[in-house]
Amino acid sequence: MKQIFKLNPITRKKLRRFRSIKRGYYSFLLLFLLFGLSLLGELFVNKRALLVWYQGDLFFPTYTSQISGTTFGLDYQYETNYRELKKKFQNEDSGNWVLMPLVPYDPFEMDYTDAESTGFSPPSLANGHFCGTDKTERDVLARLLYGFRIAMIFSFAYLILTYLIALSVGCVMGFFGGKSDIIGLRLVEIWANVPFLYMVIILVSIMPGWWGIGWQVVSLLVIMVLFSWTGMTYYVRAAVYREKERDYIASAKVIGASPSRIIFRHLLPNVVSTLVTFAPFTIAAAISSITALDFLGYGLPAPTPSWGELLKQGVSNLRIAPWIVVSTVGALVTTLTLVTFIGEAVREAFDPKKFSTFE
Amino acid sequence: MKNIQHRTYLLLAAFILLFSGCEDHNLKQPREEASKGYSSNESFREKPPIDREFARELAREFGKEFAREFARQLTEGNRSVAFSSPLVSESERTGLTDENGNPHPLLAHCSEEVMEFYSKNPDAFAIESIEKVPEELDWQDGSDELEFSSSEAKKGGTWNVFMSDFPRTLRTIGPDANGAFRSYLLDYNALSLVMSHPNSDGYFPGLAKSWAVGKDGKTVYFKLDQDARYSDGNPVRASDFFFTFYFMRSKHVQAPWYNDFYGKDKFLNITLYDEKTISITFYKAKPDVVERVSIGPKPEHFYFELDGEFLKKYQWKPEPTTGPYVVSSDNIEKGKSISLVRQRDWWADQKRFYRYRFNPDCIKVSVVRDYNKAFEIFLKGGIDMFGLAKTEFWYEKIPDDHPLVTNGYLSKVTFFNQVPPPSYALRINSQKAPLDDKNLRIGFHHAMNFDLILRKIFRNDYVRMNSMADGYGSRSHPSLRARKFSVAQAVEYFKKAGYSKRGPDGILINGKGDRLAVELLTGYKPFEDVLVVLREEAKKAGLDLKLKILEQTAAWKTAGEKNHQVVFSAFNSSVELFPRYWEPYHSDNAFEEPGDSKFLDDGKLKPNLTTKPSTNNLTQTAVREIDQLIDRYRTEEDLEKITQLSHQLSKMIHDHAVFVPAWKKPWLRLGHWNWIKFPDDWGPKETRDYQEFQVFWIEEEEKSEILKAKEEGRSISEKPTVWTYDKYKNH
Repeated sequence: MKQIFKLNPITRKKLRRFRSIKRGYYSFLLLFLLFGLSLLGELFVNKRALLVWYQGDLFFPTYTSQISGTTFGLDYQYETNYRELKKKFQNEDSGNWVLMPLVPYDPFEMDYTDAESTGFSPPSLANGHFCGTDKTERDVLARLLYGFRIAMIFSFAYLILTYLIALSVGCVMGFFGGKSDIIGLRLVEIWANVPFLYMVIILVSIMPGWWGIGWQVVSLLVIMVLFSWTGMTYYVRAAVYREKERDYIASAKVIGASPSRIIFRHLLPNVVSTLVTFAPFTIAAAISSITALDFLGYGLPAPTPSWGELLKQGVSNLRIAPWIVVSTVGALVTTLTLVTFIGEAVREAFDPKKFSTFE
Repeated sequence: MKNIQHRTYLLLAAFILLFSGCEDHNLKQPREEASKGYSSNESFREKPPIDREFARELAREFGKEFAREFARQLTEGNRSVAFSSPLVSESERTGLTDENGNPHPLLAHCSEEVMEFYSKNPDAFAIESIEKVPEELDWQDGSDELEFSSSEAKKGGTWNVFMSDFPRTLRTIGPDANGAFRSYLLDYNALSLVMSHPNSDGYFPGLAKSWAVGKDGKTVYFKLDQDARYSDGNPVRASDFFFTFYFMRSKHVQAPWYNDFYGKDKFLNITLYDEKTISITFYKAKPDVVERVSIGPKPEHFYFELDGEFLKKYQWKPEPTTGPYVVSSDNIEKGKSISLVRQRDWWADQKRFYRYRFNPDCIKVSVVRDYNKAFEIFLKGGIDMFGLAKTEFWYEKIPDDHPLVTNGYLSKVTFFNQVPPPSYALRINSQKAPLDDKNLRIGFHHAMNFDLILRKIFRNDYVRMNSMADGYGSRSHPSLRARKFSVAQAVEYFKKAGYSKRGPDGILINGKGDRLAVELLTGYKPFEDVLVVLREEAKKAGLDLKLKILEQTAAWKTAGEKNHQVVFSAFNSSVELFPRYWEPYHSDNAFEEPGDSKFLDDGKLKPNLTTKPSTNNLTQTAVREIDQLIDRYRTEEDLEKITQLSHQLSKMIHDHAVFVPAWKKPWLRLGHWNWIKFPDDWGPKETRDYQEFQVFWIEEEEKSEILKAKEEGRSISEKPTVWTYDKYKNH
């Protein structure tokens, strides 16, 4: 397969340098390992069993459609409660068995098996709630993990969308210059002065009610992107201005390359490498703002697992359920620290002072 | 580079010019013209009236808002002058004026505008001689009722309470007036003609010393108390009750709800007989007519007349009150607190029913914006009482073994009361598919696991509400019970409605392959966890309950437009004798087409009816039989028959399966510091709010003792101070 973007040697050198900065590089590996694990979260944290051996048949309930209780000789039609099934099989000792994931809960399920439980059970190794439960007995760890997955996917989408807009607007302004630059820049300045958080809160609260949860998430994303792409355009514009004066662009022009070819084949790959330095910080900003919005109650719709919602619960019940705040803040700090380490390493690796050569 | 900069400045300058141009343009256009359209040429072609020209001149100098207001007033002023003269002849008939056109002595102080208002409504406002009061009336004075306060009560001390925001106005009417602070001015303070007794179905005197219901059952006669006075020393005059209607119906107060509540169609007539005798005629002979017409007066000497300046003029000018507590501008710390001070010589201070109430010398209402912070202040003693209805407050934040409680500094009180509860319920829109199928609605009832919620989230402190008319004594249906959660029954009814197969995600599907998904709308974010439990449990019955939790305004707007499938909401019900059925269940509140014209001959609804927005009929119930019963119920005047009809209606609505009752709390719970003392049975039966009847008092010496003991860590009680008052508990 041919590379779409041909990285110039300088960019390749930068990447090599990034790899040599150990703290950032390992943070990068760790974060993506965590993200990868969270994508497969159903295998580790789930109320559905990994494997069920029942009367000579093997079942894999994790990714299939739901299996009703009657399948395993239970007296209800709705989805099997595998934790109870496991206990039942153990008591019967009939050779049937159930293999449960590490944390046998999902982020939506209320664990009301204990007759006494009324929410806020403290962390316990015995029942598998390693980080305790929240107000309605949902597993905090499960909500953390799935909240992490959603936050990461959300921020990647946010990153891609903001950069797409910023790149195209910045490229147009930078490459064509002149009137398009002046007018474009003024418009961007005006747009940038609209306060981001207030706009998001206002727009989210007037979102029409008939939109489904999926649409609400997408529109939240769109709204957030709409009011935050401006910051990056300045950098893109500047980078394009700088790059387009370079010799290789001049040579391309001389050969007779079309503007679109110059932009896509020559300018973009090198401009993108500048943007990469900002990417980790954008991710960190996206995670914090989605958490903040959830905390304020303007974020993802219930019962989507989210860190902001957990934080809110934790803060208002700080005295009675400290484990919620502790684990959520812990997760948040860890993630943001990892992202920041990556960001610092990327910034150092891409530092123009180390690579600029003047001819 | 310089070139670019230059051009930028030029462009900026152009922008500025453009915007300022627009601004200027706006300035020149008064509102009326602007509303016609944005074409400026048109509006300049017409020659504007002189006052508008003047307004424009002003606008150039002072600003458009002021000028518009000025222009409007000028035109209005002209109008009223033009209309005033022909009405004089009409007023002669009503006794409001004598032959010479001079006002009756009782109305001698009234302004021309107010007089004109009275004489425009000759049927509603009348002055008669005292002989016209029927002689055979059965005058009541509440002397057979018992007092509900304690003779041990002491006067004095400051009562510290909090509000979550500083009031935006001290008016009790108009925009922004409906805040929490209004209760301190009105509900907990001001008196009306008679007061309904919170321990019985009777009444006790307020501003009226005695009262009597006329033969027609609609007219109530009142003899005002000679002593009744406003806080500024002026007596309460009979004519103030005339003025109340002028005030409440005025468009200047900008309160459509009050305009309607005090409307001509409800209050047919008010008659003054002498200085202290009046009668008010209601439109219908209801069993509780005394309560319905028992209004509070508006001080005419204070307002004199209303104009367009009303809202601004009285924004921070509290009205003189007939109640014990007074707000004066010296006691307002803007943004921080308001103190209400008890009048030293309040006119009702020594009267029965009042002498042992309103005990603190001062009520200090401070702003604490965060609820959790307010709770912390309460624990430190800065706030005297705190509502503990929320489970986590009662059980976790201040449990029975909390040192403040075990040491006897602070009491936890559960008081069982008897009031119609706020109607927390799921209301099913019976016109929205697939919920137009009754079987599906019944299945939906059985799929809602409120039992689990009551047990786990509310820890059995709340009880299930059973019908839409709970809490009305014998008027509530005696044996109706809410449908219980049962997967088997739910599945059975869903099957009857055509949903018989389980899909891959366990949700039922019908023959056409439609999933059984229902959207649940609400504006109550605090109940999110409750709804999440409902959603998870409904999955067991094969129902996908989609939650749509919006901001309050957005949610109620959607519901008001009847665009919901199911809405979770609650209406506050005032303490009334019998429940209301017309608002939430009559077809006239579901569709625009009036009365019977909505129905086909067989009783079914006609197709393509126009939905009526913004009514309380959130279930879109439109059933001919229910309509007929409600019509009878509304015209019925006999309490016995009303009760019977009420039972019938409750049953029919239950069978129609559109109202899934949620919960009610049969008590109120609070924590209070032990320097606050309550009567032996804590409070009257109909207390819905611990501040309501003000029967408690403050022991100031004990306050310093308790605080001292707390500092030293010394216990002052042998057992935890946790109390339950279940005298009024329904067993």
